[in-house]
Amino acid sequence: MVFSDLFFLFAFLPAFILAYLAAGYADRKLFSPLDDHKFKARNLVTVIFSLIFYAWGEPVYVFLMLFCVFVNYLAGLGIEGSGKHRKLALVLGITLNLLILCTFKYLGFFAEILNGFGLSVAAPKIALPIGISFYTFQSLSYLVDVYRGQSPAQRRFWDLLFYISMFPQLIAGPIVRYQTISANIKNRTVTTEDFAEGAYRFLLGLGKKVILANQLSEISDRFLADGNFSTAGSWIGLLAFTFQIYFDFSGYSDMAIGMGRCLGFRFNENFDHPYTCNSITDFWRRWHISLGTFFRDYLYIPLGGNRRHQALNILIVWFLTGMWHGASWNFILWGLYFGVIVTIEKYTILKYKIPSFILHIYSLILVVLGWGIFYFDDFGKLGSLFSALFGNAQSASDFTSWAALTNNFWLWIAAITFSLPVRKLFKNARGKWIYRTVISLLILFCSVALLIGATNNPFLYFRF
Amino acid sequence: MGKKLFIVLVGLLFGGFTVLFNFFPRSTVSELEKRDLAKFPTYSGEKLADGSFAKEISLWFSDSEPYRDFFISMSMGLKDLIRVNFSKESSLTFHAPDMTDNDYSPTGDFGEDEADELMSEQTPVDEETTENRKLEEYQNKITAQENAKIANAGIIIVGSGENTRAIMAYAGDSTGGVKFAEVANKYKRILGDSVNVYCMVIPTSTEFYCPDAAKKRTKSQRATINNIFANLSDSVTAVDVYTTLAHHAEEDIYLRTDHHWSPLGAFYAARRFAKVAKVPFADTTSYIRKVVKRYVGSMYGYSKDISIKKAPEDFVFYVPDSTVTYTTTYVNYTVDENYKVTNESAPYKGKYFFDYKDGSGAAYCTFMGGDMKITKVETSTDNHRRVLVLKDSFGNAIPGYLFFSFEEVHVVDYRYFTRNIVDYIKENKITDVLFANNIFSAYMPGTARRYLKFLRN
Repeated sequence: MVFSDLFFLFAFLPAFILAYLAAGYADRKLFSPLDDHKFKARNLVTVIFSLIFYAWGEPVYVFLMLFCVFVNYLAGLGIEGSGKHRKLALVLGITLNLLILCTFKYLGFFAEILNGFGLSVAAPKIALPIGISFYTFQSLSYLVDVYRGQSPAQRRFWDLLFYISMFPQLIAGPIVRYQTISANIKNRTVTTEDFAEGAYRFLLGLGKKVILANQLSEISDRFLADGNFSTAGSWIGLLAFTFQIYFDFSGYSDMAIGMGRCLGFRFNENFDHPYTCNSITDFWRRWHISLGTFFRDYLYIPLGGNRRHQALNILIVWFLTGMWHGASWNFILWGLYFGVIVTIEKYTILKYKIPSFILHIYSLILVVLGWGIFYFDDFGKLGSLFSALFGNAQSASDFTSWAALTNNFWLWIAAITFSLPVRKLFKNARGKWIYRTVISLLILFCSVALLIGATNNPFLYFRF
Repeated sequence: MGKKLFIVLVGLLFGGFTVLFNFFPRSTVSELEKRDLAKFPTYSGEKLADGSFAKEISLWFSDSEPYRDFFISMSMGLKDLIRVNFSKESSLTFHAPDMTDNDYSPTGDFGEDEADELMSEQTPVDEETTENRKLEEYQNKITAQENAKIANAGIIIVGSGENTRAIMAYAGDSTGGVKFAEVANKYKRILGDSVNVYCMVIPTSTEFYCPDAAKKRTKSQRATINNIFANLSDSVTAVDVYTTLAHHAEEDIYLRTDHHWSPLGAFYAARRFAKVAKVPFADTTSYIRKVVKRYVGSMYGYSKDISIKKAPEDFVFYVPDSTVTYTTTYVNYTVDENYKVTNESAPYKGKYFFDYKDGSGAAYCTFMGGDMKITKVETSTDNHRRVLVLKDSFGNAIPGYLFFSFEEVHVVDYRYFTRNIVDYIKENKITDVLFANNIFSAYMPGTARRYLKFLRN
């Protein structure tokens, strides 16, 4: 199920809200007020709905996720135990999570590579379980946080399952660390402010996805998908994709963060207006923040960070960042592309004073070209795209390029505007809830109309 | 205070949608998209395990929403709002082509046996005959300078305001359509000298109204039709309606909002056919002009472009006056959801021209009420000529003009016919067989395959 599906919005979500409210009643009536766990029934309801949510798309792999959580539950308990077995439990837990991830996401890719070297290996046909990259990373964060003593191990299996399977962030992030929410599993409060802010955030995310990203995807697909490029068309397609992927992914994160807030959780921000960056280093501080900080805290620093063999550490981190996005060479190339740029920046532009608008243009060009690498897993098409971008195309443009700009004029304007931090301008405006109410009603109504006309609108970050 | 009001109002709209989508009667048909909507899936353990059951429920939920057409119109209106027309005069939209249909290649998935069966039909063609079949060249002077814009499904939208016209991009090659010619040749060989066989390939509006700006997006239909005619044997008569229609391109010979031609276009084509077939033909004074007003055809649903809805047109058709009398007998086919024939009715008498109210989007079904039937019209004309029209929906507009020309007019659709065509022709003493298909279906090898199957039924 995806958040921008009418079935999710108007069947699943209302059912969940009713069940959750009923469970809240049960929590107050059935359990002693002295019990320090005040959310037993509500967490259980959330788990059940999360499993349905997951099983909706992956009826079989839901058992893989349950198995994964169970292993992490045992490993967590082992890590918290005293003595020499702590480290062993951690290593075993991490190994198993990575093994599951590699098996289900990368085995086919590895087999392909070995075949490339002339070894005949049967490529296993394993469908990628939705969200596996997200939930295994959350599991890793749990084990490491417990090992580091930043959070106690979870003694209730249900509550660990609650953390990992929680549907708002289960299948497309953000990667919520255990320590971020561990304190709120048993007890949390939701004020009117929390609920209103959460609902507003959710609707903003819905609008980003349905009103902006879905329309932009029509443009990007039209110019990029078939691999026949004109120079103008390839730039327009790539720019459309640049906006599309931002609104698609950040829209999803907004919806997740909004729902989390309504339930009493404060997930960390996942995006901070990445297209306002003034270097690629800055871009990666603003794009998919939960992934970047995950790699920083759980990989880069433990590897030695900038104290020991930094170049190697950077290479590993960016190689894996690329690979995390998919079992395909173009993602690895995409990761390394940014790794190289970030390394070069360290010794060049970050050291000198350069006017910020130049830095801004420089960064955007590199980011946009990066999305070209990201879009195509077919290197032939990727090659033609880059030739076309730089003038080597059958035609410079045709009427469709101009039409894509004029027929979607306000869409482009909206995309540019909402890539900028306009929201911050109104954060403390007087009567902001009046504006927000009007905006939310409009978004909800328009999204419903647009979704009914759309047949297919999966989120891009689903594949990862 | 503001926060509470926010929660109440947003909650009300959200709750309202929830009640609407869960408890109101669901839509089953979309008038706008002219299709049946998804039904609730049937359960099976297998479908549950592979996830398709859940997927189909989601699809059903979002496909059969109550008031679906209302919301889709809203959605199209919204999409139209993001547009800016920089040139004041007019614009042209292109709806990205979807030519993924396997059938849409010159050879398609034509079975080897069938291909062999037709290979033997390739007869050398007399050069003089070929020369006569060359289509006249057409140059668009009507909409050449219009701008273009893009919408769904291979559709280009031309012009603006009340003259907006939707045309469908054509992707066929100049080498295609050979099977269509070959199947006509085969019919002729089997039917022999006693039956005349004619081949009419009907171009679509794209050929005549595609602005220069969008020319690159569509291929020449003339080239394909030339190729088809070049592959016809001498004994099959080509009916060049391309040139005929080109001469009348300034009249309303095509519907602007529908993928079909207009009854007027069919009139000129029928006149051309009558001339070639050497049968009498009545001019327009023998017809009563009828109009369905505010007609918006299929292109609205296909392109999902609101500018089509905003440019309704008159659907004008012509009914023969009392100087000819006729009775129409139908055999109806029942089809399942995949358009496979499941049942055939007993013959019954009915009217040839159906009535549609002003504003009806189904007005093109005026002729015989649609495609899924065998039609036989007995007329007061007495000349021992009986015609069988083998056609797609374009062909539906032709037979109504042939009542003065033939004593019997039979109509069979290439998709729905379960009998043996040779037996049918013999039983009904047919003297003339006309293949009348539009260029899209003439191009697809699947069409020829179906005509071939009629010989084996």
